[in-house]
Amino acid sequence: MYSWRRLREKIFIYIISIVSLLALLPIAHLIITVFLNGFNVLLEAGAGFLFKNPPVPLSREIGGIGPSLTGSFLLTVISLPVTVILGLFAAILTTEFPRNPFSLLVDTIAKSLASIPTIAVSMVVFTLVVLPMKRFSALAGATALVIVALPYTYSYFSTMLLSIPSTYREAGFSLAMSRWGVVARILIPIAKRNLMVGVLMTLARIMGETAALLFTCGRLRTGLPSSLMGPVDAIPLLIFDYILSPFEIWRRVAWGAALILLLVYMLIFFAVKFFVKEVRL
Amino acid sequence: MFAVEMNNVNLYIGDKRILKDITVKIPYNSVFVVMGSSGSGKTTLLKLINRLVDFIDGVRVLGDIRVLGFNLLDHDPYELRKNIGMVFQEPNPFPHLTIYENVAIAARINGVAKKREELEEVVKWALEKAMLWDEVKNRLQDYPHQLSGGQRQRLCLARALAMKPKLLLLDEPTANIDPVNARKLEEAIVSLKDEVTIVMVTHLPHQAARVADYVAVLFEGKVVEHGSAQKVFLHPSTEIAKKLLRGEI
Repeated sequence: MYSWRRLREKIFIYIISIVSLLALLPIAHLIITVFLNGFNVLLEAGAGFLFKNPPVPLSREIGGIGPSLTGSFLLTVISLPVTVILGLFAAILTTEFPRNPFSLLVDTIAKSLASIPTIAVSMVVFTLVVLPMKRFSALAGATALVIVALPYTYSYFSTMLLSIPSTYREAGFSLAMSRWGVVARILIPIAKRNLMVGVLMTLARIMGETAALLFTCGRLRTGLPSSLMGPVDAIPLLIFDYILSPFEIWRRVAWGAALILLLVYMLIFFAVKFFVKEVRL
Repeated sequence: MFAVEMNNVNLYIGDKRILKDITVKIPYNSVFVVMGSSGSGKTTLLKLINRLVDFIDGVRVLGDIRVLGFNLLDHDPYELRKNIGMVFQEPNPFPHLTIYENVAIAARINGVAKKREELEEVVKWALEKAMLWDEVKNRLQDYPHQLSGGQRQRLCLARALAMKPKLLLLDEPTANIDPVNARKLEEAIVSLKDEVTIVMVTHLPHQAARVADYVAVLFEGKVVEHGSAQKVFLHPSTEIAKKLLRGEI
């Protein structure tokens, strides 16, 4: 009887391990492929890859992704804080006042937004922002990115806040803290690691989004953006356009850009893991 | 004058009546123990005193309640809680704060101490009163997860005391800790009653007998026995109280 139980446990552990490995395989494949294809490009282009303009189709020089990198940076700088602040405050509202009609409205809107295709968001922003302004702009791109990322950020933050045992809330209230005091002094510091992971997920969503930018930010691939009201490019857009092109040099640039995107994300991921310590309950 | 006076208090959650016609008087500087079986409404009664019941959905309170001379239902709950400390059944020190900060935060928020020296004094005083100082004086920068369960509960007592409360609510504070730490906590409770009025919930008759000056026995939301500890323990007048004291319910 005892040995059968042990055997059953071992089989269960093996199955779990194999399934976990199978789940990791596509991710590993993706990372390895990007590294294999992108590494040579970066090696050939050198540091100039980060600053130069993309090559013309029949060029022999690989050039760089300077305008797209700057555009992605600009779009992230605008949309990340807005998304994180709105998502966090919405999560605080709906978790602290779950029965408030406004909370219910916010929760419903956030959940509905999550199910809208991102290309539809791009078209809506095109109609509401690009057409009235009569131009593609960083502002329109950032607006689309906020709309796309906000439901995920909100959902992550509200799950994070709800996962903190209520006993800490009660302890805070019993010390005569206000509701805001409990959130700011107790809940957010306890969840700081998860909060940073939420910010990172939002960053990944914003940096990797393509469809929302198709009809919103334009494609400025020569020179640097001069204003928020003018067009910008983004790395995912460049990858999308170039990887489908018939020109070998553009496809190589796309792989290099994908590796840059991956490296930036991994750098931030490991920095968060290293610097933000988990609070042990 | 009484620290807490309740007359015909009824508490509802939705349509369910949780506390029924509660009438109790808790004298200042005494240890008042609320006993009762599981689900009898002991914790709800305790959380009514500092109005933590406000955070329960659909709660409704009827009756006359005076706490520390204030009309409980009319008074600002945040102001009221500045005078009422509470220790919960499950030890819940703030995990992101050090031992020192856990105690200091209570003093700082409630304006008990502002300067660093004052704060250090209050922290030391509270930890001594909770009988924890000797065990942690050299590790004040450690985090609560580095303490044992009993030490964490005494840290919570120190945190509550650092507010310099007039009233201290203890919700089965020894329920989840070992006997040695439970005894230390009991000693701390008895030694505190000259400075603070204590209302404690327990379901352990022996513990109640050791610490109580007054006892109320709660059964299905009603006070079925109420009086001095001596009277309740030696001459219980109701069958329910007798059964509870014998540990039969």
